[in-house]
Amino acid sequence: MRRHPLRMVALGVGVAVAALAVVLALQVGDDQLQAQPRSELLGDDAPDFTVTTLAGEEVSLDSLAGQAVIVNFWNSWCIPCRQEEPALREFYERHRDEADFALVGIVRDDTERAARRAVDERGIEWPMGLDPGGRAALDFGTRGQPETYAITPDGLVAGTQYGPATVEDLETLLAAARGQR
Amino acid sequence: MTRRLLPWAGLGLVVVVTLAAVLWPDGGRSDSARAHALAEELRCPECQGLSVADSSEPTSRAMRADIRDRIEAGQSDAEIRQAMVDRFGESILLRPEGGGLGLVVWGLPVAALALGGGGLVLALRRWRREPRLRATEADEKLVDQTRS
Amino acid sequence: MRAALGVLALAVGTSAAVLGIATLGLGLRRRDERLLRNGRRYVFVVLAAAVLAAGAMEWALLSHDFSIEYVADNNARATPTLFTITGLWAALEGSILLWALVLGGYLAFMARRFRDRATDPLVAWATLTGLVVALFFFVLMLGPANPFKTIADVPSDGAGPNPLLQNHPLMAFHPPILYLGYVGFTVPFSFAVAALVTGRFGEGWLADTRRATLVAWGFLTAGILLGAWWSYEVLGWGGYWAWDPVENASLLPWLTGTAFIHSVIVQERRGMLRVWNLSLVIATFCLTILGTFLTRSGVVDSVHSFTQSAIGPMLLGFLGIVAAVGIGLIAWRGDRLRAPGRIDSPVSRESAFLANNLLFAALAFVVLLGTVYPLLAEALQDRRLSVGEPYFDRMTTPIGIGLLFLMAAAPALPWRATTGEVLRRRLLLAAWMGAAAMAISVLLGARELAQVLTFGLAAFALAGIARQFAVGARAHGAARVVRSNPRLYGGLVVHVGVVLVAVAIASSSSYSTKREVRLREGESATVRGYTVTYLDGDTDRSGQKTTVSARVRLERGGDDLGVYAPAISTFPNSTQGIGTPSVRTGLREDLYLTLVSSPNQRGRITLGVAVNPLVLWLWLGGAVMAIGTLIALSPSLRAPLWRRRTRTIRDVRRQSEEEKEPVPV
Repeated sequence: MRRHPLRMVALGVGVAVAALAVVLALQVGDDQLQAQPRSELLGDDAPDFTVTTLAGEEVSLDSLAGQAVIVNFWNSWCIPCRQEEPALREFYERHRDEADFALVGIVRDDTERAARRAVDERGIEWPMGLDPGGRAALDFGTRGQPETYAITPDGLVAGTQYGPATVEDLETLLAAARGQR
Repeated sequence: MTRRLLPWAGLGLVVVVTLAAVLWPDGGRSDSARAHALAEELRCPECQGLSVADSSEPTSRAMRADIRDRIEAGQSDAEIRQAMVDRFGESILLRPEGGGLGLVVWGLPVAALALGGGGLVLALRRWRREPRLRATEADEKLVDQTRS
Repeated sequence: MRAALGVLALAVGTSAAVLGIATLGLGLRRRDERLLRNGRRYVFVVLAAAVLAAGAMEWALLSHDFSIEYVADNNARATPTLFTITGLWAALEGSILLWALVLGGYLAFMARRFRDRATDPLVAWATLTGLVVALFFFVLMLGPANPFKTIADVPSDGAGPNPLLQNHPLMAFHPPILYLGYVGFTVPFSFAVAALVTGRFGEGWLADTRRATLVAWGFLTAGILLGAWWSYEVLGWGGYWAWDPVENASLLPWLTGTAFIHSVIVQERRGMLRVWNLSLVIATFCLTILGTFLTRSGVVDSVHSFTQSAIGPMLLGFLGIVAAVGIGLIAWRGDRLRAPGRIDSPVSRESAFLANNLLFAALAFVVLLGTVYPLLAEALQDRRLSVGEPYFDRMTTPIGIGLLFLMAAAPALPWRATTGEVLRRRLLLAAWMGAAAMAISVLLGARELAQVLTFGLAAFALAGIARQFAVGARAHGAARVVRSNPRLYGGLVVHVGVVLVAVAIASSSSYSTKREVRLREGESATVRGYTVTYLDGDTDRSGQKTTVSARVRLERGGDDLGVYAPAISTFPNSTQGIGTPSVRTGLREDLYLTLVSSPNQRGRITLGVAVNPLVLWLWLGGAVMAIGTLIALSPSLRAPLWRRRTRTIRDVRRQSEEEKEPVPV
């Protein structure tokens, strides 16, 4: 009887350590930092946001009902935002005359003055909404910028993009918002 | 016997009274205390492991304001937590939930401690039951000699 | 040239390790004394190789040799000299090199200290084990973690170290000291394995490694506290411990190491707990490897995870092998480890040590579980979870308070058994002081259970320690009391340090005040009696760093406390600003200033003002712990207890006077 308890304990400890090693080993393969987090909003109702654009207009989810909406969180100082601008510009040129399309930018973590200056200098033509207090950014569950969300005409979140988007990414988002595959 | 226990009893009394004074419920938490407690349980999404209460990032600020608004609107702690989880996912909570897998992280240490403590008590009992080596008269005499 | 030198050094080190292992292995097999004596010499070659490799890397860094990838990634021409030197441990490959260097040092120290016993199989097996560990790290460096990897396109300038690592001179001390702690546990581990293999698991290996264990523990304690200090003074988020996975990784071996330091005393005195002690030291070593794995493999998100690489699987594999060997050896030899000792009474010092170990083990378990739980959840249920302060605080605080209680009561408990009279004489007064402290703190406004208990137990502990010193002074004379038993009194001094740390943690976690104020130039605000006035701002561009600082005048009750300047620094390769707090450290409380946002277009700054009580005591406590460790390491006037062959009547009488109880002869 004296022999067994120790060997059992040792076996138990060995099994536990092996289990831990397996769990850790499973994680090592994944590139954690690169893994794109999925937005929690995918498939849910889009948050009911209201922003005032730099031009003074009020834009809200209700005012955009019936349109496929692309919401892009942006600011003047983030480098990936700059990288993304040419793609956004091209994308906007392509679709701005379509009746069921809307591209809305929302300023995230920036001052109004810097945002306004950047919009003027860099020729950003789509409506850029101010979000004092960061409420819209919070409601969308944003973690940084740039982040882009695609909303269907019924107000459902159909697609999300974290980080800078290419024209192809934006087209995919628009297609998702329109219910096309 | 009782005389010897008296100072210990007095000690015990003082400790109990002090602890009672500390644990006495003092009329519930204020709204701001509730807001702070909730903020401490939520992770700042932009930071490395800081809580919403500790972080100065704009998202944390917005979350703190949002919590305050929700408390004023009468939402419960659970509802507020759920609202945050709906937006950011489960990883926004710094305190893992209790049910299901959460039983592992909350229950296992308690079980381990209980097991270890129980094992210790059992071992102690076993040792006490075993007879001690008996000393002979000659041994006792030797000990007395040495001590004197 | 430098890269070639480095790789050559690594190759020499690897071969020396292999040759050493082979020679010692053969010598042990054939019981050939000459082979054993020669085998240990390879240790010094390994050390020389590590020194050479580290030297080559430093040379490469200082001469900005960007043909080496590591230098190009972690150094730039504009990097200040100090941070160029500390670049050796700025990233993964370099820190493995540092580990190998420190390991070489410890192995050489071990070889030299036991040179008279070079032919003793225990020593030979220990040296062999140490060389196996060294071999692993050298192979790691010749393989996936090669610090001397060259690149074809030599850039004209390097990327520079991570901004967080350039912020403060403390970068020069924190990692090396931490590694002196981590790596140091290789020595008792090697001896534990040797003891198991040779079958000599008496108290010999403990006595041989006692000092090395204490040195490693001391450095690990210092390293952890330095990390906390850095977190507080340099990182600027306002706290000193975030339960970050890498912080936890350093805490785990500390917890088991502290348990080990206490339970060896039971083994020395009573011959008990042999299996447990062997398991503890093997576990501690495994945890140091696990810590490295968690820090360097990028498996958990952390402030420390700068890189990801194939090193993860190799570290994990090594950890698996070590754990398997350790568990296997214990299971194999286990039956023979049954000791004759037993515990006579639940109220005795042995029982207190057992309880101490149980609580430390529970603490380690909690910290480990909380750290790997997110990984577990992701592996099993594909869920992304976080475990943070609320969990750790809730789980560790009760255990910590239990340990504090044991620390206060146990040193006064006699060995084997006691009577109520002895307990009363030794503990009652100290316990009353504890109760008084609790009551006073409640009267002064303390309302948190954990804090009140901490204050009470702290007073209890201090009173008990004072009593022990008084008794010792009476027996040996005040001047010689410490020297009469440096281990005991050094330990008591360390306990004093722990009390200071506990009180500091209890105070600063409950009674801190934090506020943000928006000020224009010339405006003031008041927080908890302190008045802060924003004087002016300043922008400084030096080298790669752009620093925006705000000068703030601090006053309290009319007294001018000086001008402080919190700042935010930005580096070209990172969009995030690194905050530098400005702290007025006081005996009672710290005034902690951070610049939350630099002057906006209207010249307004947002200033973070926090009042943190008793934080200084945390660092003072750490210093006291270090002093206590040094005392415990100093030579004693009397030989270690278990080695004493004869005890004279005088020893008996002296001990009897110290303990004032009948001494079982």
